[in-house]
Amino acid sequence: MTQVTRPTPRRLDAFTLPSEPGNERLALARVAKSVAGLDLPEARLERLKTAVAEATMNAIEHGNQNRAEIPVEVEVTQAGNVIVVAITDQGGEANPEPGNPEEPDLLRKLDGGQSPRGWGLFLIRNMVDAMDVTINGQRHTISLTMRTGGAAHDEHV
Amino acid sequence: MTSMCEATTRALPGAAVIELSGEVDGSAADVLTKAYQSAVQGGGADPGTVVLDFAAVDYINSTGIALIVSVLARARAERRKVVACGLSPHYREIFDITRLSDFIELFPDLDRAVSQLTGPAALKAAR
Repeated sequence: MTQVTRPTPRRLDAFTLPSEPGNERLALARVAKSVAGLDLPEARLERLKTAVAEATMNAIEHGNQNRAEIPVEVEVTQAGNVIVVAITDQGGEANPEPGNPEEPDLLRKLDGGQSPRGWGLFLIRNMVDAMDVTINGQRHTISLTMRTGGAAHDEHV
Repeated sequence: MTSMCEATTRALPGAAVIELSGEVDGSAADVLTKAYQSAVQGGGADPGTVVLDFAAVDYINSTGIALIVSVLARARAERRKVVACGLSPHYREIFDITRLSDFIELFPDLDRAVSQLTGPAALKAAR
């Protein structure tokens, strides 16, 4: 039997932010700094930054209801060629995940059949290699996984 | 580290240009709405095309995408064409993923957008 050795995760950074609109920019800048030097191609770094910004914005607005005194927690870890950014708010029980949020449909949005908004989760899902959500009591965590090497759907053409 | 969205508008033969700078996020709603209004009502003939120039934009989030959708919806209702230029490769990808690029023709820069849309004379006027 072959034994597979998984690399031990290494914490690159961990920080908190007050739940104030606009602080997602702080999160993306700090995450970008923490993964600098990991050979993440520019296009993938830009995707990760967008996903981090959107997830943090959701945590601030929906999870923590824009209450500055409730922090958003951000942790960045690396295991081998995998980067995971975990973003936690306190909206787990109060704001459970919607069952099946409506997939954004641009034509319907243009015709008024769907709100122009609702792109956040869609963007996150399309920006990273994997997105996982865990709820533990009040704690609601979205984990964004990005490989440092190129994936099949990768680089800009 | 954040920069508010600003917009300036210019009228060209057959087209109106909205030059955006800063961040296109929720705070840009008023700016974008007023810029569109000014662009289509500002001097000269009613423009059939609205050019959104993102060359000086450094950040667009999901709320900003929603604002662009709203501008596009309004333009379509008024039978105007919307084109965009100056997007970084990352935001071009987002326009592709969201399918905005199915409805908004993308140009690398303002010169090429204006040249293609309105001809060399308008390009000279745009400079």
